[in-house]
Amino acid sequence: MLIASRRQIDSDEFGGGYVEHWTTREFASYIRENDKRGNIFLARDHGGPWQNPAEISASLGLRDAMESAKRSYAADIDAGFQILHIDPSIDPYGSPRTEDVLDRVFELYEFCCSYAGQKNREVAFEIGTEEQSGTTSSQQELRETLKQVFEFTEANDLPGPSFVVVQTGTRVMEARNVGTFDSPIRVVGEVPAEILLPKMIEICNSFKILMKEHNTDYLSDESLAWHPRLGIHSANVAPEFGVAESRAFLNLCREQGRSDLGDQFLQISLDSQKWKKWMLPNSLASDEARAIIAGHYIFSDERFMSIKQSLQDHCSKKAIEVDSFLRSAVKTAVMRYVSLFRLAN
Amino acid sequence: MAVDGEIADVFVVEAGSDLAASSRYASWRADWDEAIRAGLRFSRGMNFGLSQLWNEQKFGNYEAFLLLPNDVEFSEGSILRPLVHDLDMHSKIGIISPCSDQWGERNLIPEAGVRYFWFIHNTALMLRREFIQSIANFEAADYMNFLFDGRNFRGYACEMELIAKAYANDWAAAISRKVSVRKNETHLLSKADLIKTEPYEENLLLYIEEGRRWLRQKYGFNSRWSMQLYTKYFYDKFFEFHPELQEFKI
Repeated sequence: MLIASRRQIDSDEFGGGYVEHWTTREFASYIRENDKRGNIFLARDHGGPWQNPAEISASLGLRDAMESAKRSYAADIDAGFQILHIDPSIDPYGSPRTEDVLDRVFELYEFCCSYAGQKNREVAFEIGTEEQSGTTSSQQELRETLKQVFEFTEANDLPGPSFVVVQTGTRVMEARNVGTFDSPIRVVGEVPAEILLPKMIEICNSFKILMKEHNTDYLSDESLAWHPRLGIHSANVAPEFGVAESRAFLNLCREQGRSDLGDQFLQISLDSQKWKKWMLPNSLASDEARAIIAGHYIFSDERFMSIKQSLQDHCSKKAIEVDSFLRSAVKTAVMRYVSLFRLAN
Repeated sequence: MAVDGEIADVFVVEAGSDLAASSRYASWRADWDEAIRAGLRFSRGMNFGLSQLWNEQKFGNYEAFLLLPNDVEFSEGSILRPLVHDLDMHSKIGIISPCSDQWGERNLIPEAGVRYFWFIHNTALMLRREFIQSIANFEAADYMNFLFDGRNFRGYACEMELIAKAYANDWAAAISRKVSVRKNETHLLSKADLIKTEPYEENLLLYIEEGRRWLRQKYGFNSRWSMQLYTKYFYDKFFEFHPELQEFKI
């Protein structure tokens, strides 16, 4: 599954996302053209009102933000996205009550089903949010949310959701997972993953819905290998692959005696400030570590592309193809999951 | 003890190497070379205390035993009475632990309530005597073997094993919110040199490394998750056998 957030990929109306500046349509076309065996599912991650920063900076009210989110979903469905995550948990005007979030879920859910029906498309749904708190969804909250959503879909003769985002004790900060899943010792204020995880899986199974873990990045091999055995149905990985690409780029610059290009990349990334949301309080991370954490946000920046071209020009003499080198690094990172989840030998 | 003194006796295991700094309340002193050199830690220390009671034929005088390392702090008020009350009200509980305001589990337990768990940190465990009797090694009533496995020196996962043994023998392990407990690691963090132990980070690494090795050697488990599933299996079976206790299941 390729799962794009609205920040990463969005429709023409929003000017695309930070990934290649692609619009939803362009992104989907690129995948279709390159997915020769048709193995890839296109999925929307965290769709919903105010999930595109433009909706916040335009100070949209609820109605306008909901309409904007619907247009984004419509573009997803038009482009052939097969799984839509309905996540209206963000609200710049204050924390919405659970009932309000659910009302928004129902409205968006109904819209997507109706629009997909008109377009003769089949879509599956993911609900829930993780908010990276470590234990956001208590058992009671999860059970109640699922109960209400299934009541809604049954009453309206709509397909039930296929996935629910559940906290399993994963939390990404900086370039590591600081949640309870990987921690053999107690994380203050949180329910140990040993308790949390089996309970959440039990609840998901009782509703016959697949559990989706967010923030799986950087978990140890041991923890990943336990995922299928523990009954975790799906897992979302994001920044780790971007960081793998940034590290590979930096290493290549240094190996090829072009540290100057690596330094320029680091500086642009550091200046972007995109690392801020990933830092632990009172972090002692170096500037380089911060820059690597934010590297993937600037891969589409013209300055970076120019740096990359300079590196390519330099490497061409040695028959090194930079993109292919970077792809290989990302593939290695992806294959760790594929292998440990036993998706391939 | 100002609060619970009339219903409890206190026994202190002293395993310090500095005689001058020994506790004046010590009941027994671990005076063999290895204990003086390396200390006892949780598993061996609790084994030593409990086995001394057994060997001195005092074990049967008590209905329950609250095992406390020296970095545990309680909220004010009675500690023992509420826990003993919980044991009285729940005849299948073999292990009961107070809750901590630093534990997320707090949100899974009603206020002043009790819930049965398959995983509890060994901050302050109260064990029912009958439960200990059902699993203890009376043939080797010593600091290595009595209740915990003393080969697991620092004790990582020793509470998992204890809880597994409880459910496997038809006893439950519970957390009570009637009493609040907290581990004060300040001394370990800032005075490791005075305590003559490893610095905090090193101790943590050794704790986990040794525990993992022990899990592998004893059970063939290469992960704490194996132990968890093992325990959870018995936990679920317990409630199949005791459906009347379902309301205490988390």
